[in-house]
Amino acid sequence: MNSNTSIDDDLQAYADGQLAPERRQAFEQALAREPALAARVAEIQRQNAWMRAGLDAILHESLPQHLVDAARPPATRARRFPRLASAAASIAMLVVGVAGGWYARDAVLERDGTPTTFARQAALTHALYAADVNRPVEVWAPEEKRLVAWLTKRLGFPVRAPDLNSVGYALVGGRLVAGNEQPTALFMYENSAKQRLTLQARKQPTGAAESAFRYAIEDGVGVYYWIDDQCGYALSGSLDRAQLLAIGRLVYAQLATPEPPR
Amino acid sequence: MSVEPPLPHPDLLAAIPRLRRYARVLTGDATRADDLVQETLARGWEKRRLWAAGTDLRAWLFTIMHNVFVNQRATSVRDAQNLSLDAEGESGAAWQLPVRAPQHAHVELIEVLRELGRLPPEQREVLVLAAIEEMRYEEIATVLSIPVGTVMSRLSRAREKLRRIVNDPPGDALPPLKIVR
Repeated sequence: MNSNTSIDDDLQAYADGQLAPERRQAFEQALAREPALAARVAEIQRQNAWMRAGLDAILHESLPQHLVDAARPPATRARRFPRLASAAASIAMLVVGVAGGWYARDAVLERDGTPTTFARQAALTHALYAADVNRPVEVWAPEEKRLVAWLTKRLGFPVRAPDLNSVGYALVGGRLVAGNEQPTALFMYENSAKQRLTLQARKQPTGAAESAFRYAIEDGVGVYYWIDDQCGYALSGSLDRAQLLAIGRLVYAQLATPEPPR
Repeated sequence: MSVEPPLPHPDLLAAIPRLRRYARVLTGDATRADDLVQETLARGWEKRRLWAAGTDLRAWLFTIMHNVFVNQRATSVRDAQNLSLDAEGESGAAWQLPVRAPQHAHVELIEVLRELGRLPPEQREVLVLAAIEEMRYEEIATVLSIPVGTVMSRLSRAREKLRRIVNDPPGDALPPLKIVR
């Protein structure tokens, strides 16, 4: 590198505020000696200010909706119908779709004679989402607070994600799922061997306010489920029964104690 | 945690205005700029496993945008065979000068975009990343996959060229590439 290049590099770096401290003093001495150099620095800084004055206007433009949508995780985006792209139309479609899907599902289940018990639903829901490598949840663990607030609001009773780190399972995140009778909160956990557990919670539609632990195997998925304080819980995973029961007791104990302050 | 974290949505959202600004300088056109931003965000989600959590999300997104832009430009250059492939040519291959400003547009913005549009895209990128995004030269080298020395020489040439343009504005009635000296 010849000295001209070096001076030019220093000039650029100085004007951009990036000149290394050990070179800055020498450069400032050169600036004081050579007015031409100082004039070039001033010129670069004027250029920078001129560009910024023009381009910053873009920062203050309102964001187009399609870019806001593009920033969201792909699985949480509503499907786009380009010809019906107005927000109102999208929302209306979503409402109709969810409600229609909800009732259609019931009808299909009844027609097929499919048991729609909480345990079976929990197992099927577990199997559906636990197998999803990239998008098992809608809101991820780093946003646990937002997740819990959202689910609490949607379910109409306080839900929370128990801490299962002591048994090797870390929270992945959660989502709202359409239970057969009640919207259901789903929390997913994963251990270092990538085995996944889900805890699902919903308000019990009718019946007992409390129940003992019950166990079922549905399609190879083990489910412990119980009712506590008129809320139904189901812990599902492909674990052996004793392991699942131990974790179920941990969950039960944590949910039964008041939430520790955060 | 063993699960890969997703891209942090709030940070992604916060990066959009800067991505749009950069895209506007790259393409010179608001619609194509937003298409470029959208494509960048989509690629970001596709490639989210390649983002190392905790590292600079903005720099990573700019890298993606640069690559998308270069690929698009390569395609458009192949499509328009009469355009110069010379990296030091006087105008970007895919560049279009705004014919007329939309009514709400800021006049100065149009002016800055027009002058920057006269720089070759390679110089424009380096200049904007250094002067507007205030990225470190090393960071720019990473984003653009070029050596730091190349960053410095492009930056110097960009500034020199811009100086001539700004000091000797071509004016709307004159041929746009008139450069005295």
